[in-house]
Amino acid sequence: MKIIGLWVTVGIVLFSTLMLNAQEPQTIVFLTWKPNQPEVWERLIQQFHQEHPQILVQMQIGPHSSTESHAVVTQRLRNKDASLDVFLMDVIWPPEFANAGWALPLTSRFSEEEQKKFLPATIAANTYHKTIYGVPSYLGAGLFYYRKDLLAKYKFDPPKFWTEMLVQGDAIVKGERDPALHIYAAQFKQYEGLVCDMLEFIWSHGGHVVDPQTRKVLLGEPPSVEAVTFVRDRIIGRAAPRGAINYEEPESLEVFIQGRAVFHRNWPYAWAVANDPEKSRVAGRIGVGPLPAFTGHVSASALGGWQFGISRWSKHPDAAWEFVKFMTSLHSQKILALEAGLAPTRIAVYDDPEVQERMLHLKHFLPAFKRARPRPTSPLYPMISQELQRFFSRAISDRETDVEGLARATSERIERIVQMEAAVQQ
Amino acid sequence: MIPANRKFLLTLLTPALLVLLVFVAAPVIQSIILSFHRIIIGLPQLKSPFIGAENYRELLHDPVARHSFLVTVFFVSTTTFFELLLGLLLALLINHRFPGRGALRACILVPWAIPTVVSAQMWRFLFNDAYGMINYLVFADKVSAYIPWLAAPGTALFAIILADIWKTTSFAALLILAGLQIIPEQLYQAARVDGAGMWRRFRHITWPLIRPALLIALLFRTIDAFRVFDLAFVMTQGGPADATNVLQLYGYKKMFVEGWMGYGSAISVAVFAMVLVLAVVYVRMARRRLLEATL
Repeated sequence: MKIIGLWVTVGIVLFSTLMLNAQEPQTIVFLTWKPNQPEVWERLIQQFHQEHPQILVQMQIGPHSSTESHAVVTQRLRNKDASLDVFLMDVIWPPEFANAGWALPLTSRFSEEEQKKFLPATIAANTYHKTIYGVPSYLGAGLFYYRKDLLAKYKFDPPKFWTEMLVQGDAIVKGERDPALHIYAAQFKQYEGLVCDMLEFIWSHGGHVVDPQTRKVLLGEPPSVEAVTFVRDRIIGRAAPRGAINYEEPESLEVFIQGRAVFHRNWPYAWAVANDPEKSRVAGRIGVGPLPAFTGHVSASALGGWQFGISRWSKHPDAAWEFVKFMTSLHSQKILALEAGLAPTRIAVYDDPEVQERMLHLKHFLPAFKRARPRPTSPLYPMISQELQRFFSRAISDRETDVEGLARATSERIERIVQMEAAVQQ
Repeated sequence: MIPANRKFLLTLLTPALLVLLVFVAAPVIQSIILSFHRIIIGLPQLKSPFIGAENYRELLHDPVARHSFLVTVFFVSTTTFFELLLGLLLALLINHRFPGRGALRACILVPWAIPTVVSAQMWRFLFNDAYGMINYLVFADKVSAYIPWLAAPGTALFAIILADIWKTTSFAALLILAGLQIIPEQLYQAARVDGAGMWRRFRHITWPLIRPALLIALLFRTIDAFRVFDLAFVMTQGGPADATNVLQLYGYKKMFVEGWMGYGSAISVAVFAMVLVLAVVYVRMARRRLLEATL
């Protein structure tokens, strides 16, 4: 009896070893925020399956907003959820994910030589204390869309300054006699997008929230306060519909593609949507370029975009890396650019003849990409952002608020957050 | 000594008690423990030191929390008031016999049966400034008069209150209807014989007898309204200018967006404590009323 028992045990052990070696496909879970063209991503994943039959990628789609996506991803990472392998990170997350130990350091896999093939700003955004934690997938930056046909009709050049935009817009809206037409559409809801839009106004007026060199909080200084006041008094309810206070990207883009705004601020994805005749009434009649600035200052865009990260708790880091490598390859970035309108982070894609021929607008994107600036980099950025969202939303929703007093109070709170981080780093 | 039949009853209760312990008591205790620590997800180097009541001290001095508290109290009082008032009227209506009563009763429950997230999304579309139904109903094609309901602090809170009233009035009506149905018909017949008019019958028969049911509806609605989260989360994310930043949403943001676990827990424990106090007060009142009603 004992001998039979022994043989059974040996048999089981042998059988399971064989099963393991038989290359059961490894399943890796890829969590992404809600893409605008999910079908393009699915097609890429199918191609990956053909090339790597031993790896099965399961795509899980999270919420559309970055803040909500962040809540979903961090909750799973915090719980050391081993069923999550690859995730997309918004450009503001890498310092936090690195400091919390959630993102796998990619130094050994993502060589410096390979890193040089990407736009430098995107690599900088994925580096924390000289270690790389993510591979840039596509780049975003605030872009300025305008109605080419209307500007031509009234003989205007695309405005270089905010006040110029208001003057041109006034003339066009008066001339068109359309009560539904507004000058400007952008994102002013109390959420992450509000921070981007408002930072662009502040930066293009020479201001800062946190000075990148000195780490001083400068939100309460005149350049910032004046820019915020300008948005409240001249943009909200004047150039932009009052409803913009509850607009995220999709709502503001809707206004623009319905032909109800002359100018529009959005990310690169909007180009493809606004030129799709099935979705847009202004397809083929729009131009794009860098955002206007205040007189005497230069245009600035908030750096956005998404990166692939690998979870520290992943049980299949090698399979996960194969997937990330595939998705950020020249081939995949080209497909994402051509079919989903996502701006590539690999420099070589911009020189690709097919991309150049089919995506003439990319060369209009580049000036804005080169002026893109990161939001304050800090593992505590989510806290800073909540303070900023609160401040900006209060400042622009009510014409009576004391912007300067509010800005100083918010500065003090942000100062405390910055100091909290500095205390830990020592 | 526990008598034998009580022992048997206790055995029967054990599974239920265990479930309560694991799924209700444990998370609450966990939150209370977290609330006494400094835990910041972005800064694991801090470890998680015990800091006593510091989170609570900070909460008392947090102007955003104070504002959230006021918003929540305003939300709770207005929604509960209107839900009970409209619920009472609805209950009185569907308590009468008339053709199609069954269908109407079923219809009334529909809003309550829809998941809140779905109805919140629906209201968000209805209140949209450019293509929302509500603007069209009020202003027809006068586009320039359209109001961006969710973009102004005052109207955004109003929109959320309206959505809540629409959704849960039927629940209040259902509870009150249950109270109405236990009133014996003979009482009304006797009152009619004595020559009592409609108002007097309501004032002296219906009102005193449905008070216990009203109180229960009040209890459920207040507690539920205090914990409001999904409506604000879907419709406004707490904006504009924090006008709809109800306490639960603020706690959620602190915990899951900012990663400030200790402080976020302190907020949820505070909400829990307030709801608990309310529940105890109501239950005591209800018990007294129920006693009075049976006497």
